[in-house]
Amino acid sequence: MVDALREVHRVLAPRGILIDARPDSRVLAYAERRKVRGFQRFGVVRTNRVELANDRASDLAIARAVRERLFRRKRHGRFWHRVPFDALADLRHYLREHLRFLHRADWVVDAATRKRYATEQFVIRRAVRFEILEASVPASSRPPTRSTASTRQKRQQTEGARRPG
Amino acid sequence: MSGDAEGQFGDVGRHVPALSSILRPQPLVELQAWGGTRLVRGKRVLDLGCGDGRFALGVAAFASTVDGLDPDDEAIAAAKEAARESGARNVRFAVGAAQRMPYPDGAFDVVILSWTL
Repeated sequence: MVDALREVHRVLAPRGILIDARPDSRVLAYAERRKVRGFQRFGVVRTNRVELANDRASDLAIARAVRERLFRRKRHGRFWHRVPFDALADLRHYLREHLRFLHRADWVVDAATRKRYATEQFVIRRAVRFEILEASVPASSRPPTRSTASTRQKRQQTEGARRPG
Repeated sequence: MSGDAEGQFGDVGRHVPALSSILRPQPLVELQAWGGTRLVRGKRVLDLGCGDGRFALGVAAFASTVDGLDPDDEAIAAAKEAARESGARNVRFAVGAAQRMPYPDGAFDVVILSWTL
């Protein structure tokens, strides 16, 4: 992943923008029933361990790219995304096939309540996070700073003074 | 994929693969959450891991050019087909890996990793 980020840095213009957006597995997702106004929480949907590890690896790759000064963190945030379903059975079917989520929700309502509203509309509400990073300017294309320029000038003067004749 | 939910939300999680891009936020919704269209307006954009081109085609109206890169050749074929159907002329798709991209240095102003990394 760090290799890919180095390559991203290469193809980006100096001070170009990298946007990294993905589901936020650090935050729980929810199974909710759609009401006339708003939503009623029916259950919690957890991310599976493999995906949690993948997400951590992605976080570490970004952190390393920042440590290597390829990118500078500019801004980050999170928004909520709702995946809608016509009925509870559809939501369950979706979870059974899903690769990120555990295949069963942890219900916070009893079986009778689930059965009563089973044919109503449901959503899975999940967090999506994003981070905006700025590509650093490669050292070779940076204009010399005042301190480097003056240091170079002093060095040349010193070398000139040392030279005989 | 039908029913009331589709009408209300524009997409619906019924009988489609769990990883289908249909179930992701709409490109404009995502773009607004990140800070708005100014992020890509008039810019050279690369959608890395573009899949079927959902996001690349979504931002094409604002960007100067959009390139989509994905290792999945079937997804890229679908993306090219979608681009033809949409009539977007500033979008190109290619098969490739993020570790060795077929682009010169400094070719883009914005690189987007949307649900990719």
